Amino acid sequence: MHEPELLIQRFLDHDLTPAERVVFLQAVDTDPALRRRWLNVEMVVAEAARLPRLAPSPRFLSELKATIAPPGPNWWERVWAAVTTPRTLEWNLAGAMAAACLVLSVVAGLLTVMPERVVEVPVAMAPVQTMSAGTTQETPRVFVRLVLLQPGARSVSVAGDFNGWNPADTPLERSDGGMWTATIPLKPGRYEYMFVVDGKQWIADPLATDAATDGFGAQNAVLDVDI
Amino acid sequence: MPPDQPVGPDDAQLVTRSLNRDHEAFGQLIDRHASRIINLAYRMVGNRAEAEDLAQEAFLSAFKSLSTFRADSKFSTWLYRIATNKCKDWLRAKRPGMEQQDVDIDETLDIHVADEQTPERLLSQQQVAQELEQAIQRLPPLYREAFVMKHVEGMGYEEMEAILGVNSDTLKMRVYKGRLQLSRDLATLSPTQ
Repeated sequence: MHEPELLIQRFLDHDLTPAERVVFLQAVDTDPALRRRWLNVEMVVAEAARLPRLAPSPRFLSELKATIAPPGPNWWERVWAAVTTPRTLEWNLAGAMAAACLVLSVVAGLLTVMPERVVEVPVAMAPVQTMSAGTTQETPRVFVRLVLLQPGARSVSVAGDFNGWNPADTPLERSDGGMWTATIPLKPGRYEYMFVVDGKQWIADPLATDAATDGFGAQNAVLDVDI
Repeated sequence: MPPDQPVGPDDAQLVTRSLNRDHEAFGQLIDRHASRIINLAYRMVGNRAEAEDLAQEAFLSAFKSLSTFRADSKFSTWLYRIATNKCKDWLRAKRPGMEQQDVDIDETLDIHVADEQTPERLLSQQQVAQELEQAIQRLPPLYREAFVMKHVEGMGYEEMEAILGVNSDTLKMRVYKGRLQLSRDLATLSPTQ
C-alpha cells in the first residue's frame, strides 16, 4: 500500500500521532487528489455505518426457540400428572348444604319409587300374582302371592296342600291398611288352602275363583298354578 | 441506576441459567444477539434467507455446546466466532475455488474497475446503499469479514481479534484493503468527484 493511502487508513483508525496528524492534514489541504481519495474512503465508511439493518423475522425467532425448547409431556404423563397432583378442595357452607340436599333428595326419591315395585296390591280379577322362577332343572316353581285384607287381625297365616295344612309354616306379613301377604314358591298344579286368622279362625280366600268342599261342611279355596 | 446500565441479567447469568436447564434464559440470549448475528451473516453471504439459516445454525451450535463455553470470555465473542465460522464454511462450500487468504488488492482491483466503470451521476441515498452492499459482496471474504465487523457492526479491533483469532495488525490491513477497494469501486458514484 502506498504511503498516502496508508496515512488515510491510519487517520481513519485514529492511529496517527499528533505530529503525523498535522502532517496529514497539511498534505490533504495542498493535494486535491489526496483529499479526494481521503473523502472517498470517509464516504464509504460513513455510508457503511448507515446501511439498513435487518430485523430477525418472527419465523426465525419462533422456529429457533421451538427447537431449543424441551419436549412436552406425552399424553400418559399428562394423565398421570393430573391424577396424582395434590389438589386443594375449596368448599363453603352453602355449597355443602346444597350438595347434601341433593343427595338426600336422590335417596328419598329412590326410596319412594322402589317400594312401589314390591308393595303387594290386591288384584280382584286374580287372587294371586305369579312369577316364574325356573330354578330347578326339571320342575320350575312359580312364585304365588296370596293376599288377604284383615285390618283387625293380629296374625294371619295360610294352610293348604302345599304345607301339610300347617298354618304355622306359612305366616303372612302385614302391610299398610291391614293388608296381609305371603309369596310362596309352588310347582305347577292344583292346591286347596285356607287362611287362619289369629290362629283360630279358618276362612276361605274371598278372592279365590274356585272352591272345593273340605268334607267337613266348609269350603276350601282352590288354586291352579300354571307356568 | 445509571442510564446506560442494562436492565435484567447479563449474558453470564443467562448462560449459567441455561446450563441449569432454563431454556427461557437461552431464549433471552437469542433475543439479545439475534439481530447482530443475522446482520453479520447477511453482509457475509448477501442473502437474507441464507443469513437467517446460518444464524439459526450458529445459535443451535452454541446451545448444544454451551457447556464448553469458558466463562472467562464474553458470550457474544464466542457466539460471533461460531457465526463467522459458519459463514466462511458456507462461502467455502458455495465457491470451492475461492481460497480464504489475503489477496493482493491491486492485482484484482484494476481488472474489476475497468469492467465496472460507469458515467458520473448523482445517486440517491438508497442507490448508494444498494451499490455499497453489492460492492461489499464483491470483496474477498477475508476483507469483507473485517470491513463488515469494523464499519457495519461497529466493532473495535480488540473485539475482532478475540472473535477471529487474528492479530489486530493483520485485521487492520484487511480493513484498509477493504476500504480501498470499496472507495475505488464507488469512486465514480461519489458526489465528491
